[in-house]
Amino acid sequence: MRAENVSQKPKFWILHTLLIVLAFFMLVPFAWMILTSFKSLGESVHVPVIVFPKSIHWDNYIDVLYTMPFLTFYFNTIAITALKVLGTLIFSSLAAYAFARIEFPGRNVLFVILISVLMVPGQIYILPLFLIMRDFGWLNTLQAVAVPGMFDAFGVFLLRQFFLSLMKELEESAKLDGCNHLQIYWRIMLPLAKPGLIALTIFTVLASWNELLWPMIVNSSPAKMTLAVGLSWLQGRHGTNYPVLMAGSLMALWPMVLLFLTLQKHFIEGIAMTGTK
Amino acid sequence: MRKLLFALLALCLTAGLAACSGSSKNGSSKVTLTYAIWDQNYQPAIEQAIRKFEDSHPNIKVKIELTPWSQYWTKLDTGATGGELPDVFWMNQINYVKYAANGIIMPLNDQMEAGQIDASIYPDGVLDYYTNEGKHYGLPFEMSSIGLFYNKKLFDAANLPYPDETWDWDDVRKAAEKLTDPANGVWGIASTMSTEANYYNTIYQNNGFIISEDKKTSGLDRPEAIEGIQFWVDFIAKKQSPSAAQMSETSSEKLFESGKIAMLYDGSWIVKEFADIDYTKENVDVTVLPKGKVSANIVAATAMSLNAKTKHPQEAWELLRYMASREAALIYSSTGSFITAVNGTQEGWVKSVPFFNLQAFIDSATKFPKPFPTSKDTMKWFTLEEEYMLKAWSQEMSVDEMAKQLAQKVNELLAQE
Repeated sequence: MRAENVSQKPKFWILHTLLIVLAFFMLVPFAWMILTSFKSLGESVHVPVIVFPKSIHWDNYIDVLYTMPFLTFYFNTIAITALKVLGTLIFSSLAAYAFARIEFPGRNVLFVILISVLMVPGQIYILPLFLIMRDFGWLNTLQAVAVPGMFDAFGVFLLRQFFLSLMKELEESAKLDGCNHLQIYWRIMLPLAKPGLIALTIFTVLASWNELLWPMIVNSSPAKMTLAVGLSWLQGRHGTNYPVLMAGSLMALWPMVLLFLTLQKHFIEGIAMTGTK
Repeated sequence: MRKLLFALLALCLTAGLAACSGSSKNGSSKVTLTYAIWDQNYQPAIEQAIRKFEDSHPNIKVKIELTPWSQYWTKLDTGATGGELPDVFWMNQINYVKYAANGIIMPLNDQMEAGQIDASIYPDGVLDYYTNEGKHYGLPFEMSSIGLFYNKKLFDAANLPYPDETWDWDDVRKAAEKLTDPANGVWGIASTMSTEANYYNTIYQNNGFIISEDKKTSGLDRPEAIEGIQFWVDFIAKKQSPSAAQMSETSSEKLFESGKIAMLYDGSWIVKEFADIDYTKENVDVTVLPKGKVSANIVAATAMSLNAKTKHPQEAWELLRYMASREAALIYSSTGSFITAVNGTQEGWVKSVPFFNLQAFIDSATKFPKPFPTSKDTMKWFTLEEEYMLKAWSQEMSVDEMAKQLAQKVNELLAQE
């Protein structure tokens, strides 16, 4: 083990220097955001750029709280995201299991139709979805934002690939033991697909947390808005107060960072496994 | 973890249900109206006026719905198709004809003819900005005009007198040349590719026009208009203004705020930002636009329109009428948020930034206003114009050639209207 380490040393250094440089570039926008959130408006728009603010402007953070009901937006965003994740996991995995393991007539055609949904830009659906929500009487509700996001073609595709990569023998032996499809799905497939489910969770959380247009279209009352919408309020028609916007973005962002840090191990595992089968 | 998820789910569902029952309760005696706006900076002023309105109309409650400019029209279009629009909403000159033609906004002629609105409180002609085929579709509450902002520090350094109302185009050209200082990265002027803030003004100052009175022909290929555009492109060619590419990277406003530009034509909407930034607050002032053959200044007005299918037409009209009244204008003005559209109410705005000569904007708007040009489907040729102008601004094409091609295309579009 030790001998191997030594012989690998130059490679190790090259790789790590490269990774550190790349990590640095990834972190620059983030650091810039933090720095800008403490600047005065003048410092934030100055050319050439001013990197460090002369004095710390905490008031940018207070301004955000005056602009929008931040707590309500937190609650709404978390509620919508939780609903979406739960829905996506249940519906996607059930559909994916069917597409991966159950032979039924028209399966491939159906799957292609489902996948083709991925090719259509999301804006196309806005109007029909809006009309459906109106007919449900759901305009200006949290479920109007959450429910349409629960049916995710990408999630079905991702999990189907995952299920296909699992050994068929496991399932066959379960069948011999008298399991029906739902039992196989619940007892065998789901536990094995954990990395895939976690990857899908993260994708869904991110997409839901950042979604802007749909909540803004379907809801009107400030009491039903999300964090992303609140942040867009900070952009004026003529000119934007960037320090306040950055302060707001940071306040909206930290739960995502926290989530990523705690689930990091699973996340990387999930991505790696979906990639290599 | 699982328990937590279920708890959350339960919480969400109850919240959703509570929301449903909440909204259905409202129908009884109290009427709830919605009022849609696109600028958060103006919200405090609007809120104050609405509070006053609710005090005098105890049976009406008004909810403000804010959608930022970049999504406002998408939301309005979707809402219009679905028959779910706010009762009263902000409207601009570019879009109102489209909404009027589709029966989405209500003509206000009946109310106006019944004398419920005193048209004489608005500056001459401003009501016409929202009049199509004899029908009034909106009441104005906010106006904007254009001024020449200048950097006093750079003028002092170049030993030049500050611009004033006696200036004409030649004074601007001379000053731009003297103020340009490549060694220090300073440009004399910024040729921003802006209709409202820049070249529409110079076209009118040169006795040109954008769209003919009968809305049938484009005036952009006439010599007067070409000269008005050439005025700006020349600065770029002589390197007295940043190039189009430079200004798309860093906006001319940001460059001006950093002391890199000495003269900037810009709208009254930017005053707040310049007043908030220490550098511009100390070193900048503003005056009326220099004249060409004549004086001219683009004036735009934002109006409020009435949803044609509102469930409460009487109450919504009361709200609209109040928000366009002199009393409301005085409230807006006292917050210093914007130029109000009612005659003689602008003092609060002028005084809101005492270190700038804001009276210049009021003088321009009242003495030589030119309304922002529109036709039935303004957006179509407006987008096209932007595309063509960029070719002249980036010096890919001469102004002559560009104007000829553009005018031909615009004429085709106008013929279809």
